[in-house]
Amino acid sequence: MGAQIRSMRRIAAGAVAATMLLAGCGGGLGSEAQTVEGPVKIGLLVPQSGVYKALGDDMKNAWELYLDQNDGQLGGREVETILADEGEEASTGQAAAERLVNRENVLAVTGVVSSATMNGVADMFESSQIPLVGSNASPTTLTDVEYIWRTSYVNDEPGKALGEYVANEVDGSVYMLAADYQAGIDEVEGFKETFEPAGGDTADEVYTPFPTTTNYQPFLAKMRQSGAKAAFTFYAGGAAVDFVKQFEAFGLDSQVDLYSAGFLTEGGVLEAQGAAAEGVLTSMNYNHDLDNEINKEFVAAYEEAYGKKPTTFAMASYDAAKVIDMAIEEAGDDLTSTTLNEAIAGLGDIDSPRGTWHFNDMGTPVQMWYLREVQKVDGGYANVVIDELGTLG
Amino acid sequence: MLGWFDANVVSMIDGVAYGLLLFTLAVGLSLIFGMMDVLNLAHGTLYLIGAYAAYALSDGSWLGLLLALVVGVLVGVAGGGVLAALTQPLAQRGHLDQALLTLGIAFIASDIFSKIFGSEVLPISVPSQVAGSVTVFGQVYPVYRLLFIAIAGGLALMVYLLFERSSLGALVRATVADRDMVRASGVDTRVVMFGVFAFGAALAALGGVLGAPILAPGPSVDETVLVLSLVVIVVGGLGSVTGALLGALLIGQVQTLGVALMPVYAPFLIFGAMLLVLAWRPQGLVSLVGRS
Repeated sequence: MGAQIRSMRRIAAGAVAATMLLAGCGGGLGSEAQTVEGPVKIGLLVPQSGVYKALGDDMKNAWELYLDQNDGQLGGREVETILADEGEEASTGQAAAERLVNRENVLAVTGVVSSATMNGVADMFESSQIPLVGSNASPTTLTDVEYIWRTSYVNDEPGKALGEYVANEVDGSVYMLAADYQAGIDEVEGFKETFEPAGGDTADEVYTPFPTTTNYQPFLAKMRQSGAKAAFTFYAGGAAVDFVKQFEAFGLDSQVDLYSAGFLTEGGVLEAQGAAAEGVLTSMNYNHDLDNEINKEFVAAYEEAYGKKPTTFAMASYDAAKVIDMAIEEAGDDLTSTTLNEAIAGLGDIDSPRGTWHFNDMGTPVQMWYLREVQKVDGGYANVVIDELGTLG
Repeated sequence: MLGWFDANVVSMIDGVAYGLLLFTLAVGLSLIFGMMDVLNLAHGTLYLIGAYAAYALSDGSWLGLLLALVVGVLVGVAGGGVLAALTQPLAQRGHLDQALLTLGIAFIASDIFSKIFGSEVLPISVPSQVAGSVTVFGQVYPVYRLLFIAIAGGLALMVYLLFERSSLGALVRATVADRDMVRASGVDTRVVMFGVFAFGAALAALGGVLGAPILAPGPSVDETVLVLSLVVIVVGGLGSVTGALLGALLIGQVQTLGVALMPVYAPFLIFGAMLLVLAWRPQGLVSLVGRS
């Protein structure tokens, strides 16, 4: 047995070594900003593996769609997209970002799914003065930045958008249940920020281990015992599928109204949840059924190219391409990472599938939020906008 | 006391379902490691094979489920055979090389799965007669999980009888305890080993087909079940069917009843339980390896 314990240790050491090899080693020296002529290199940092791959695929699809629609050009310049795999850990994301900045010498970077990666790379982008036009991750802690923009929303905004509405709508206490990582905690904090002042009554606040929780039965049993009338939750990806299916299978759906940040029913997860998701209420900054011309064209083109409706992740990536497109044009001949960043700061209104929005001082959008309900549409299930929740940002 | 029981009985039932699911995985891993001295880090891949077979073939009818079972188990056995053959040449080179090889295979397989099945967690249809929920002790519980407990419980009993009460089982246990002595008595231990590898792989794939509606296939599900199975065999003890069963049922309860009672400590419960067992019995609850 002693020998086995020893060899277990060696196995663990080997596994760690293998992981580091796989993650690749970052490094190298930064370079001075130079005026870029000819084609420009843009880094696309999205997960190509791991639990966030589906989000990464959406973002990559929309980025490529925008380029296709513009003959492979942004702001009149030929664009070479350098794809880097963010993986699912902060360490893999950091290594990939370092490669883009230090070795590929990109003009700007877009993408970034995970908040942990965003926290890990923020300082590097600030110090090397390369703009990061993020299209998903936006932790609440990221406030005082000059080179980091996000076309998505701040992590706590989906919760913030819902708080007051739920406090007014629900007659009884509300149970908060979220995945135990920064996005989950941010979301619940945001919810409480508007929920409590509006007179909302909290039953309990519980966080489930992430990503190890696949069985929500014990947490749901607690929720039932609390007698809560509604729940506010945060889950995304595979966890969202498990959670929604089990919420229904354990009979919570007949007792508790389920409110959530929009990821719970966004994109492919809704297909996997099927009928179990009917009636789930979520807040989001975008939905494919928004009634405006840009959105109709975007949805049609996206559906034709990829055979599915665009998600908010895809829309944010499409907008990131648009932001870089407009900014490169604005920067003109004197195109460096620095002038590009200045151009982004001066953009003003951006016409997007979500409607018109602009960057605030923190580098995140000022935009309208929507309440959506999962309804049966044409034999399948889809998010349908049923109300406006007001402007945030 | 009665109130406590009422509130938590469903968590306990669910713990049994979860524990039995872990057993189907851990028993193979434990026997393969305990007996062949091969650390198979691609064991979670075998679960995924079964689970994806369930996704592809199970269409909400009993026939579909049966078909998924047959195909899943056949592919699982084939996968087990390939893994056994690939790790055979590394037998003399220690666990690190085996771990790297099988981990590499697991990575490649998971990339292939995500190419074929995409990167979403996939929905699994169960036969419509067992798709709903029933009221158990005043609480709603999915029928399929009850059926799963019955089937997996029967399976566990069968495996237990086969290994602990039959002469074939005695041969396997003897090979775990002292391989050279078995070989000296004229038995080709390689056949026994291949047999155990294939059997363990078949069980993991079977667990995948039946467990898919509970733990659906998707990226990194293979890692999740691998880590849980490793915890189960560390707790239960290497190379023992009884140990794997006890360990799996214990971890199942920790994962459900434990979490229901102490949700705040949920992230630490499994490894806390492992720590306690290791401090008390470093060799695991039941262990055959190293006993002479």
